[in-house]
Amino acid sequence: MDLYAQVLVSGLLLGGVYALISIGLNLIFGVVRIINFAHGEMVMLSMYLTFWLNYFFGLDPYLSALIVLPVMFAFGFLFQLFVVQPILSTSATMKIFTTVGISLLLQNLALIMWKGDFRSVQTSYSMSSIEVFEIIISVPRLVAFGAALASIIFLYCFLKYTYMGKALRAIVEDHSVARLMGVSVEKHYLFAFGLGTMFTALGGVLLVPFSSVFPTVGITYTLVAFVVVVLGGLGSMSGTFLAGLFIGVVESFGGTFVSPALKEAIYFAIFILVLLVRPQGLFGQGKGTEEVGLK
Amino acid sequence: MKKKVLIFGMSLLLLLTGATGVFSAEKLEIGALYPISGSLALLGEESWRGAEIARLMRNEAGGIAGKEIVFVKGDASTVSAARSEAERLIEQQKVPAILGTYSSSRCMAASEVAARKGVAYFELGAIANAITTRGYNTIWRTNPTAADFSKAQIAFITEWYAPKLGKKPSEMRVSIAHEDSDYGTSVADSFSKMAEGAGVKIVSVEPYAANTSDLSSVIFRLRKAKPDIVMAVSYANDAILLSRQAYELKLKAPILGTGGGHSLQSFVDALGKEANGVLNVDFTQYATNENFAPGLKAFLALYKKTFNENPRSGHSLANYMGANIVFDIIEKTGGSFDVQNIREAAMAMDVPAGKTPTGWGVKFGEDGQNVKAMPLVTQWRDGKLVTVWPEGAAVMEPMIDQ
Amino acid sequence: MITKKLYVIGAFVFLLLLLIPLFFESTFVLHMYTLIFFYTALTAAWNIPAFGGQLSLGHASFFGIGAYAGAILYVKYGVSPWIGIAAAGAFAMLGGMVLSLPLIRLKGPFFTLASIAFAEVLRMIAIDWRSLTNGSVGINIPFKPALMNLTFQSGKPFYYISLTLAVVVVYLTYRIRYSALGFHLRAAASDDEAAKALGVNTSLAHFVALMWSSAITGVLGLFYVFYIYVLEPQTIFSLDLFSLQPALNGIIGGMGTVWGPVIGAVLMTPLGEFLRFYLGTIQQGLNYVVYGLVLVATVRFIPGGIVSLLAPMMKRKSAEKAAKPAIEKEAR
Repeated sequence: MDLYAQVLVSGLLLGGVYALISIGLNLIFGVVRIINFAHGEMVMLSMYLTFWLNYFFGLDPYLSALIVLPVMFAFGFLFQLFVVQPILSTSATMKIFTTVGISLLLQNLALIMWKGDFRSVQTSYSMSSIEVFEIIISVPRLVAFGAALASIIFLYCFLKYTYMGKALRAIVEDHSVARLMGVSVEKHYLFAFGLGTMFTALGGVLLVPFSSVFPTVGITYTLVAFVVVVLGGLGSMSGTFLAGLFIGVVESFGGTFVSPALKEAIYFAIFILVLLVRPQGLFGQGKGTEEVGLK
Repeated sequence: MKKKVLIFGMSLLLLLTGATGVFSAEKLEIGALYPISGSLALLGEESWRGAEIARLMRNEAGGIAGKEIVFVKGDASTVSAARSEAERLIEQQKVPAILGTYSSSRCMAASEVAARKGVAYFELGAIANAITTRGYNTIWRTNPTAADFSKAQIAFITEWYAPKLGKKPSEMRVSIAHEDSDYGTSVADSFSKMAEGAGVKIVSVEPYAANTSDLSSVIFRLRKAKPDIVMAVSYANDAILLSRQAYELKLKAPILGTGGGHSLQSFVDALGKEANGVLNVDFTQYATNENFAPGLKAFLALYKKTFNENPRSGHSLANYMGANIVFDIIEKTGGSFDVQNIREAAMAMDVPAGKTPTGWGVKFGEDGQNVKAMPLVTQWRDGKLVTVWPEGAAVMEPMIDQ
Repeated sequence: MITKKLYVIGAFVFLLLLLIPLFFESTFVLHMYTLIFFYTALTAAWNIPAFGGQLSLGHASFFGIGAYAGAILYVKYGVSPWIGIAAAGAFAMLGGMVLSLPLIRLKGPFFTLASIAFAEVLRMIAIDWRSLTNGSVGINIPFKPALMNLTFQSGKPFYYISLTLAVVVVYLTYRIRYSALGFHLRAAASDDEAAKALGVNTSLAHFVALMWSSAITGVLGLFYVFYIYVLEPQTIFSLDLFSLQPALNGIIGGMGTVWGPVIGAVLMTPLGEFLRFYLGTIQQGLNYVVYGLVLVATVRFIPGGIVSLLAPMMKRKSAEKAAKPAIEKEAR
């Protein structure tokens, strides 16, 4: 019985990490309508930045967020401006391959600049955990979970109550209508990409205390983030959070009770099944998905 | 237009054909095939460094048969790249022999190409048993095999650890956690088979993907199986993750790694004092008894001089030792790479254990495997990886705190 | 007249390719050409659903199914790979059917993501189902040279086999493109809703296209594994090698056109190899940096693929004939 509770808690904590990584992708995928295969590489860059800030200046990973987040916002902004904006009018396919190229580029630039070593930051809380009713809760993962929740709430309010947020939501629903309504779509794209990258960077920063950094660390996160975003439904922040938790719990139970080697296969299979039965996602409102499906 | 494109493609190819191999009679070219990009880049390059140091040293001492040794590098970044590169090295660069490869699957593909062409292939680092059991007589391997690793692990468990716990070998409960590529699978298989023979009980086997970001489910399964010791076969990132989550989720059993990630500097960098006590069976590491491995310190100094940093693992040392054996063999054949000559020279070789920088002896079997190569048991102690078993090679006693 | 000239040129190039093995002793040169032919065929097969605008990034799944079907039949049951071809095609087509289920409802990026997930699931199953696939250790094709075993001492037979495969597959895609199926696919690609309104069963067209594509890809997988001797799941189900690479070739050459894949494969295959051994051995990773830049630049500056650069030339030439539709628009 204890084991089930423990597996559930571990799954939820893992899911929190997945949700955190996916929030930024949902913003970018939902607003700019681009399958960003370089998403994981943005996680990777943020992790390296955090690592080097700690290495050279002894900065605590959590504190370094104050530097990493603005830097990555700028990175996302410029990425949209110089890489995505020029190819906006091309097909989805072309956009995918641009990001595939960028992902290849960033991975190997990281390899050239920082070598293939596996680097980690050691903090006092890296491996600390608390026990509640004999259930072990990892502290850095709990922090990531909390950050995911806070980010979701923040974004929810932002999207609901600010002008910019409303404009972004309008673009998610239908960007051509939004344009007709006088929303300067391209400018909002820049902002959305920057913001999305910033939330991704938050994920990267919070990963550093408990996971290593290396040039190909992002690959795993790219796919899982897509699964989470699609399952959660485009444009739905709460959906992303719930889908993240769902995938985390599925992985945890599947890994423990079926086979650790098949845990990823299980959630990929669920992903395909959900796409079959409910293409708008488990928790999505279903708005806008048909439109994305087209081109 | 199809023609234009084809012509362009062909001229690209002709460029490849033409722009290669400025041959000089004073030079002795050997292919050096390692995965130096892609997912195995780190240890692939580390392995190459060892061979490179051996080459530089040999050249300083006058080369082989008065000729300067030159490595023609190849990048076996993937299995199919390994095949392409073997073709290129042999056909375009005309290398008469290839050494490498670090990765078992890359070696399998590349040595297959070499063997079918009758070109000598020297494996200095890959451990899959199958490399030397395919019936080719053009492949030699200087390093120990997966079976040797299993033998050492079982010997350590039954001869040292079981008495420590006051148990009979047959009462020992062992779990295996392994990454599920060919490396982890073949080592785990070979271990299971041998454990059965030795009467050691395998209570659970947990395969997992090396690129995973969470291993808590593996830890839960291990906790359920209640082993006395966990035999782990891991790459770099998963080794760190396994130990971190084992500590966090309070897995009691000690971990016995199998080369790979458990011997890397990054392992101790990540885990700090929690790495203390983690055991590992591996190629010879740097804190090994100098009497057992003469020339070890000298290699370390050379490495620092050449690459300006400390080695990341013992892979460079193993490749250094292996490349030297290859050079010795070619020295004996008078610079000839004829497989028959190499075979005679290799078979005639007999170096007892304790005479090389890795401590391994050299005696090739009919299948080309060096039967005197053996892995050692090491342990992380205060941030250093020291050899603890067997006695002759050890600089410290092993310890296990329960 | 012009088309006649093109045929003559085509025949000339083909003859030239037939003669190459007689002039080059080096099996490395043959190996490069063999790879090019393989990728030409693979890209052309990948391109069939792309006629209808569907982007698959999961073709490694069909490639792997075919490879496993052929290798298991041969190594475990002694069935000649020539007979195995049928099984490879059939099983891969079965895989295509499974993946086609989401096609009924999914389009664009969602189908693409589903195709990636599909290949990943198969890879993990191949690793885990050890009694069938021998897991990650993989299957080795034993070296028993014989025509029946599809194993040869020299590189020449495979040169001709892969050349034949490339010609046959490209010809097949040519036929498909100008058939009723091709017409339906192109209608679906330009406007799926409009095509449906006109009574075109676009779902059926997408389905049939995927059947062709998966079966051909499966057969290619079988030939590939007998060429490379070693079969293991990480390589054969590799996203990079057999899902992204053909798609990339197709896009650089011109997606959804007949000649685009040929051009893409002929250019990109040697480029990748060339970069690896000239740059990759100087500085690890540098080759991929350049490769990534080429990719980004191509999409940026030649979004219709290289074929779109050549299209105006083609159009001018064939203006007299005016029988065939222009091709520049279909890249989208």
